[in-house]
Amino acid sequence: MGKFREKMLDWKKRLSDRHMYSVTVVIIAVVAAWGIYQYKRSADLRQELDNQYNRAFYEMVGYVQNIEVLLMKSMISATPQMVSETLKEAWHQANLAQTNLGQLPVTQEVLANTSKFLSQVGDFAYALDRQNIAGKEITEDQYKQLEQLHQYSVNLHEALNNLQASISEGRINWKELANKGTELFKKQSQSMTSQLFSDIDKTFQEFPTLIYDGPFSDHMTSLKPKGLTGKDLTVEEAKEKLKKFFGEDKVASIEHTGEVKADTLPAYNFKITFKDRPEDEFASADVTKKGGQVIWMLYNRDVGQETLDVDKVKEIGREFLESRGYKSMKDTYYVKEDSTATVNYAYEQDGVVVYPDLIKVKIALDNGEIVGFESKGYIMNHTERDIPEPKFTEEEIKSNFMAKRELKAVGLAIIPTNFGTEIFCYELKGNFNGKDFLVYVNAETGREEQVLIIINTPEGILTL
Amino acid sequence: MKKQKIVLFISVISIIMCMLVPSIYHTISYAQAARASDEQLIARAINGEARGEPYEGQVAVGAVILNRVASADFPNTVAGVIYQPGAFTAVSDGQINVPIDPSSSVVKAARDAINGWDPTGGALYYWNPQTATSKWIWSRQVLKVIGKHYFGK
Repeated sequence: MGKFREKMLDWKKRLSDRHMYSVTVVIIAVVAAWGIYQYKRSADLRQELDNQYNRAFYEMVGYVQNIEVLLMKSMISATPQMVSETLKEAWHQANLAQTNLGQLPVTQEVLANTSKFLSQVGDFAYALDRQNIAGKEITEDQYKQLEQLHQYSVNLHEALNNLQASISEGRINWKELANKGTELFKKQSQSMTSQLFSDIDKTFQEFPTLIYDGPFSDHMTSLKPKGLTGKDLTVEEAKEKLKKFFGEDKVASIEHTGEVKADTLPAYNFKITFKDRPEDEFASADVTKKGGQVIWMLYNRDVGQETLDVDKVKEIGREFLESRGYKSMKDTYYVKEDSTATVNYAYEQDGVVVYPDLIKVKIALDNGEIVGFESKGYIMNHTERDIPEPKFTEEEIKSNFMAKRELKAVGLAIIPTNFGTEIFCYELKGNFNGKDFLVYVNAETGREEQVLIIINTPEGILTL
Repeated sequence: MKKQKIVLFISVISIIMCMLVPSIYHTISYAQAARASDEQLIARAINGEARGEPYEGQVAVGAVILNRVASADFPNTVAGVIYQPGAFTAVSDGQINVPIDPSSSVVKAARDAINGWDPTGGALYYWNPQTATSKWIWSRQVLKVIGKHYFGK
């Protein structure tokens, strides 16, 4: 304590020294200047950020207003072309509104319903548009839903207008809104009941083949797995299944590490270690309770020098699948990364490639070991299908769709939609300006369902 | 006298450093964020959110990001989801801009997630029960526990 006092006195003495005095003043001045500079800088940034938020918000209000007007117009319009045009525009505006909504400093939980409303408006408009193009008129039920959606967009627009007024008058600022003022959004989000949305979902089920795009994962998660049979397994039984999956001679230990409580695929989670391998180099896997199928497996180990080419590992993967009870799997696309190849295999039934029944196998290119496995597509969709005779011949399809293009291959395939339904198609592989592409033509209606561009890279074949 | 000069010198230097360092930091981080592709973005998010987690937990964080992209309740792009205000702490504190080693496990985890591996069973949220501050998050259905994280929807 005495020492400290001494030091302070010493400082005081030194401060009274003229030189030291000026030094102190300079330091204080510099620190003050720095402080002012930093303060101004952060105020500028704050302002810049507020401006961005305002822009995003004002734009969003504008888009919501457009949606309201366009939905109105689509109900008034008499010709299918006009209806189609307005609906397409509504879809576009809903996407823009959502992009802007995502930029606001308001948390997800508060905006979940507003955001959902916007994507549902967009997807509904898109679905109706596709239906319209296909030549089917809007049904009475759909018209009612359109009316309902319009009413909600009116409410939303009104609520947003009020908020906009508060913001422009300076009664609310974004900082406040980001912290605690989220009640405003909450209130008006709640006014849109989830009932409406589940109704819309139901309507979608009635014309599922009309949509390809549009995120409908809510709808998808309620689907039942078709590829699971058998009784519920105990942990021990599931372990046995897993041991066979890896090969009994390879596995050192299997530890039950947890459960997956998902509604669609309840599963056990395991940690697997291997003989002749260090303890910390382990694999993880989920095994379904029902039937004991491996949903996915990942074994993250360092892969050494590549010694195998892709054609070889495709065969290794196919043999692996065959030996694990996945018969008649055909390799389709692949990606090569980190000295591993991830190969997609699809089920083949009577020469028809069934793309929904998908299994991915990740194979190490140093020794051909299986280091990854993913079969959710297969588990969810696999079943023996009743494949009808195509209503169009190969020749008819070729002349209709590939007359001006170089045709490389043609075959039959079943492709998935985003609604858990499937379409039976001709798969035409062609070449245009040096780029390979795939066209899928409905084998029963002759409608062009999808076009994919194939991208050939040294890392693999991908589709866009 | 000599001592005082040294003190003055050190003070001035340190003040200048204080003023310069933040601005240097800002320029670097913005330049890199602009170049990052989806894979990089996801890998960086994993790096910021689940660096110390088991590999499965790293893939799971990537899968949550992609599940969000597919969900109607979230933005429709990877960048939109990751940069959604308040969504990820790694974004709020700037860790998303930290460059990562291309051979690190987070890059592999990002690739596995992009290739379709989803260890979460379709989760849209995850949280650390020890540090989660939001009460709302507990209203979510827990699907799976991996490492320190709860995954739910």
